[in-house]
Amino acid sequence: VPYTTHADLGGRQGLGPVVHDTEGSVFHAAWESRVLALTLAMGASGCWNIDMMRAARETLPDYLNLSYYQIWLGGLEALLVAKDLVTAEELAGGRDRYPPRPVSQVLTADQVAARLARGSPTVRPPTAPARYRLGQRVVTCATPADHHTRLPAYLRGRTGVIERVLGPHVFADSHAQGLGEDPQWLYTVVFEARELWDIAAAPGHRVSFDAWQPYLEPV
Amino acid sequence: VTLPADTEIRVWDSTAEVRYLVIPERPAGTDRLDEEALSTLVTRDSMIGTGLARSPAET
Repeated sequence: VPYTTHADLGGRQGLGPVVHDTEGSVFHAAWESRVLALTLAMGASGCWNIDMMRAARETLPDYLNLSYYQIWLGGLEALLVAKDLVTAEELAGGRDRYPPRPVSQVLTADQVAARLARGSPTVRPPTAPARYRLGQRVVTCATPADHHTRLPAYLRGRTGVIERVLGPHVFADSHAQGLGEDPQWLYTVVFEARELWDIAAAPGHRVSFDAWQPYLEPV
Repeated sequence: VTLPADTEIRVWDSTAEVRYLVIPERPAGTDRLDEEALSTLVTRDSMIGTGLARSPAET
């Protein structure tokens, strides 16, 4: 089955208006906060990593019809089933039918605040020098990936300039495929909006994007 | 949001490894406000680049 993301929406038209939530609103309903808690707890279990979760979410077939936390729940359910922690029958029935399988780490309530405050930094020590320097012109990979990637379609095969060198970071493409952290240099690349959107863009507007080194080739 | 024609628009499409926030532009007429008073003018939207901070008249 080819990999299909439904989340690569940059530049797409016709998706309806952006619904503007009022300042200070966090959850629309109590179930959303439970989905956040479940996702956090299971994310800490060591059964998968955050990039595998992002892949699970963006490949949900009905992604475009789901709200933010519906997508989170769908991704969680997909991974729970894929890892044999829950069966589809149990999810449909709303109750467990088999003994729970052990996981390597259990996040307890007293650890949650510290865990959230710590975050999950992805920066790693360098093992090789950066290939690109500030101000260098680069072109992005033109070929669609058949796995989770952060290079959106609207930025494929486009020429930009290295604007910042951000250090090596966990490479989401590898991490999502279970190939380890595979840290790669991350850069901010700036593109002229007209390079991306042609005359539909106002002259002088620019788009900055954080790209890992494997997405880039020298011009 | 209405901006002057000479405002440069910069879009940051974050890949999530580095998170960004916007330092809101200081509203007019706030020269005498201290940090605490200014903080009441800061909004979520003004820190994600989709709105301006409140003016003192709005609070």
